[in-house]
Amino acid sequence: MTVDLNLVGAKGAIAEAAEGKWGMTIDQDICTGCQACVAACAMENNVAFVGEEDAGYGRTQHWIRIERFWDGEYPHVKATPFQPMLCQQCGHAPCEPVCPVFATPHSPAEDLNLQVYNRCVGTRYCANNCPFQVRSFNWRDYHIIPELGNMVNGTLVFPLHNQLNPDVTVRRRGVMEKCTFCIQRIHHAQDTAKSEGREVEDGEFTTACAQACPASAITFGRVDHPESLVSQMAHQERGVKHLEELNTLPRVTYLKEG
Amino acid sequence: MSQKISRRNFLKLATAGAATTAVLTGCGPASRYVTREPYTKMPEYTYNGLSTYYATTCRECAAGCGLIVRTMQGRAIKVEGNPANPINLGKTCARGQATLHGLYNPDRVEFPIKQGRSAALGTTAMKWEEAFQIVADAMNNANASEIAFLLGTASDHLFDLITDFTTAIGAPAPVRFGALSMFESRATLSQAAENLLGEAGLPFFDLANSDLVVSFGSNFLETWLSPVAYTRGFAKMRRGNTQKRGYLIQFESQMSQTAAKADEWIPVLPGTEGLIALALGRLVAEAKGGSTPRAFASVNVEEVSAKSGVSLEQLEHIAGLIAQAQAPLAVPGGQALGQSNGLSTAEAVLALNALADNYGKPGGVFISPLSPNEDAYHRPASAKEMADFIATLKNGSVKTLFIHGVNPLFEIPKPLGFVEALASVPTVISFATFPDETALASDYIFPDHQGLEAWGYQRSATGAMHSVLSGAQPVVSPMHDTRSTADVLIEAARLAGGKFAEALPFTDEVAFIRSKIANLIGRADGSFAAPEINTFASYFQQSGGWWSAAGASASSSAASALGKTIVIDEAAFAGDGEFFFIPFISPTLGEAGANKPWLQELPDPMTTVMWNSWVAMNPETAHHLGVENDDVVKIISEAGEVEVAVYEYPAIHPEVVAMPFGQGHTAYGRFATAKLPQDRFLGLVPHGGLIGDAFQRGANPADVLGAHFNKAGDLAFAGMKVKIEKTGRKQYLSRLESRIGVYGEGFPEEK
Amino acid sequence: MIRKFFEWVLSPMGRIAMVITVMSLFSLAAYGVYQTQQPPEQPIQFTHKLHVGLGIQCLYCHPGALRGPSPGLPTINKCWGCHQQIAKTQTSPLLKPMVDAMNAGVGFTWVPVAQVPDFVHFTHRPHIAAGLNCEKCHGDMTKVTIAENPQVMNMGWCLNCHKSRTEDNFQNNPTGDAIVSAQLEEKRTKLTDCGTCHY
Repeated sequence: MTVDLNLVGAKGAIAEAAEGKWGMTIDQDICTGCQACVAACAMENNVAFVGEEDAGYGRTQHWIRIERFWDGEYPHVKATPFQPMLCQQCGHAPCEPVCPVFATPHSPAEDLNLQVYNRCVGTRYCANNCPFQVRSFNWRDYHIIPELGNMVNGTLVFPLHNQLNPDVTVRRRGVMEKCTFCIQRIHHAQDTAKSEGREVEDGEFTTACAQACPASAITFGRVDHPESLVSQMAHQERGVKHLEELNTLPRVTYLKEG
Repeated sequence: MSQKISRRNFLKLATAGAATTAVLTGCGPASRYVTREPYTKMPEYTYNGLSTYYATTCRECAAGCGLIVRTMQGRAIKVEGNPANPINLGKTCARGQATLHGLYNPDRVEFPIKQGRSAALGTTAMKWEEAFQIVADAMNNANASEIAFLLGTASDHLFDLITDFTTAIGAPAPVRFGALSMFESRATLSQAAENLLGEAGLPFFDLANSDLVVSFGSNFLETWLSPVAYTRGFAKMRRGNTQKRGYLIQFESQMSQTAAKADEWIPVLPGTEGLIALALGRLVAEAKGGSTPRAFASVNVEEVSAKSGVSLEQLEHIAGLIAQAQAPLAVPGGQALGQSNGLSTAEAVLALNALADNYGKPGGVFISPLSPNEDAYHRPASAKEMADFIATLKNGSVKTLFIHGVNPLFEIPKPLGFVEALASVPTVISFATFPDETALASDYIFPDHQGLEAWGYQRSATGAMHSVLSGAQPVVSPMHDTRSTADVLIEAARLAGGKFAEALPFTDEVAFIRSKIANLIGRADGSFAAPEINTFASYFQQSGGWWSAAGASASSSAASALGKTIVIDEAAFAGDGEFFFIPFISPTLGEAGANKPWLQELPDPMTTVMWNSWVAMNPETAHHLGVENDDVVKIISEAGEVEVAVYEYPAIHPEVVAMPFGQGHTAYGRFATAKLPQDRFLGLVPHGGLIGDAFQRGANPADVLGAHFNKAGDLAFAGMKVKIEKTGRKQYLSRLESRIGVYGEGFPEEK
Repeated sequence: MIRKFFEWVLSPMGRIAMVITVMSLFSLAAYGVYQTQQPPEQPIQFTHKLHVGLGIQCLYCHPGALRGPSPGLPTINKCWGCHQQIAKTQTSPLLKPMVDAMNAGVGFTWVPVAQVPDFVHFTHRPHIAAGLNCEKCHGDMTKVTIAENPQVMNMGWCLNCHKSRTEDNFQNNPTGDAIVSAQLEEKRTKLTDCGTCHY
């Protein structure tokens, strides 16, 4: 999609009320909190595990996390519906304007909030500004902590690195990261479609989290195409956007239970 | 030049200096540290930078989900579900996703080892020729009756090979066991089904087409039997019908992850679930009018209400919902059956289904179809059968014990005496892939490939109304000097000669597998057909198995189930503590996931705790005991004790404490243990002390479970009562939801 | 102490010392930069000049360029396919590493030359599909022995081409067609989007 920056002014901002291009629905009525999406995302995107101590300090790298709140007291206590929270790829992302080096621009081509690792200098202002708290910072070189490797003939070898996805940059310390809506899969699907001289079909590919979810609670696709599954899901009456009053224009619609 | 350096010039010099340094660090041939090694001989179908996908089967639990693994240049990158496999239809659970952390785990057994039952993993590699000879000698130097095989829960090709082998040579049949099947009370489930329906088999509960599910402690969204299939079923039940939203009611003493999805979670006292089922049966029959079937005729509803703690109004309300539902379904879970009265509890719940007349109907109960090439349902051993097996080990009847796919030193409660019994077995040979507790306690470790490096097939015992044989093939070459256990046995049998060689007349594992699937060639009702074995085997490999078309196994009428009076004894609890102790399988770790770092990093869905164990306790209870979050308490049963940190859990019966199973390893690699003291925030040394060169990570609830069995032989694991003592120490749990305790905050000033 | 040092630095002796220091640092830096631009040592002195000169197509050894992200490096079997039939293979000292490797059943460990940093995800297929010749970016292989980059492959260089090929000018849109203009603009948006290459 093209953007007339003269109309909107601020860099990266998209015209008000624009639907967005890639979007997601998450059905909270059927999400079971099983963490399959969290594991799938971590495996797909080379997300590092940080160990017990750093996890305790809140430095986990989960690009998607399952939130659970409590309502009431025993015996009338309820767990609120499990809420997978990930980067909402906001149309008016509060993380974008605050980066001093423009490391998190809005993609004019894909209408996603990008994170450019090589540009990031680690001020962490973006994470500070995100109302959904979905950005994580690489406080250490989590992939090459010596305890993760084995000494083999005098060299430190990391067998776990064999699993890393070559399509996704492996982040060093000092950079922010967050969910990218599996942009590597978006590009791969677009490239395949282009090479076959056609458009990407709805359902041809999906994000790692949506693909793994045993309950099929996550749907992903083109929210600007009314006939796509995700558009139809998103326009249900029980669809809400979290923190809508902040007007960040999130692209993820949550389907309430009931 | 002027005498002073001006600020501008200083800045220029400084910048030039800095730039120089920056350039210098990246200079020179030394920076060319990247090299590329192409294949020596590239497979024909491969292109650089493009992935190759292989179909195989997940081996992380016995569900047998099909996988498609993405590989790139000989490395497995990502696991996805196989969309064609009827069990999981393209989906995976967290444990399946993390199987790559098993394949590429830095702590694997990399070569055959003469372990000698020592505390640390041996470092000297044996030659495989020696290993084959040792196994061959073990076969030759004992009577056939003195050779025993202990395998994991799954019914797979190795189980078939060993079954055929032991049958042919006159050795005892292999015993299959695992913590998952223990906590699922599988023996009770299938025994109850047989008692009521006259048909042996594992019941399958068709959640998808039900509109009201009443679960009695069943954790079908976590690890129960076939979690991916049941999660799909639950999702369909909830939202698959545009006219009606499916309703879930869960009776459970603590709110498990499954109970959290329930529209009504009703806390009950452990051991009373069967009574509740009977009471509901009576109330439903009365609500519908007509006579009350004999099964429910003698129950006193008020008494049930008093014993269970569920009010009469609630029982009547739920009975009303059941009576009005179009396709109500009652599901008995491991916790309800893992009681002394578990068998009759299972019968009561199944009778409730009979009352709803849902056997063999959509939204009801079916007997899971047998897998292809299965003559009958061979369930894993119950805990009682394990106890009998352990007795044979202990009395010296076994000269050689082979162990594969299970970690009995961790999974079997210590009071069953497996550790002691091992001392009476002269030779213990482990085929473990990872250096777990049992492998270290063995005389030899002849490591098997990891699941993704291996050939095979695995039967899906339940999960879909198809008969499914899920196939496995290596997606990568084996990383280490491991050998497929089937190949080891075949080669050893050949070396041993005589009846042993005759029992396994195959060139290798693949030849054996082919021999086993050959009789599927003629069948027309399967996912593919082929005229002869080579083509058939190719399709089998490529598609990830063979499965029949969907078909309901016509379940016999369950009318007779209602004709028999069901008597539920009062549940007996071992020990005289004041708290009921409920262990449950960690939904993130499963039974064997503790060595996979990303599983450890997954927050528990209900407590969000990572990397450790906890005991969930009602906040009121904690207050009475004088403990709070992160306090380490000692849990004491008649069988043993553990120390674990408290998690003040809002949704648990005040008389119940619950603890996850899966953590508490003393071996099994660096992620399953703690190299550094766990209590790092305050630098305190944890209770367990050093074992080898690592600390125990968390605690194992199996250490407090006693040897008590229900009438079907399953362990009454939910039938322990425990005392709780303060230790005065703290263990700061890493929680995703909060930083409570981490910075010394979040505790009330005064205790 | 510091004051004394600064006084010495400003003295004639000190100034000369500073000049010498700066000049040596500068020449070290220059040497370093020079080193980074030298083609690396390869396991065998493969000459593109000879092979391309014989008429072998780029895609014969690097077929992946047509289909995907990476053109790939040929397996040693590919070399051996022809070289086993050439008498010189057994006699030439330059080809001895190949013979040794084949006998040992191993391949070569090449040092890649046309590299971009790993936070850049470059894929060949769309570039070949857009009609670009290999020599446009990799230079004329009939003129080099060991492979080397004819120019630095940095982001500015990539963007120059991305921009020039999507500019709405006579070369790209000779008829001034409005549809082509729109397509060029869409293409330009995609080709100058950070997320197209950095993710």
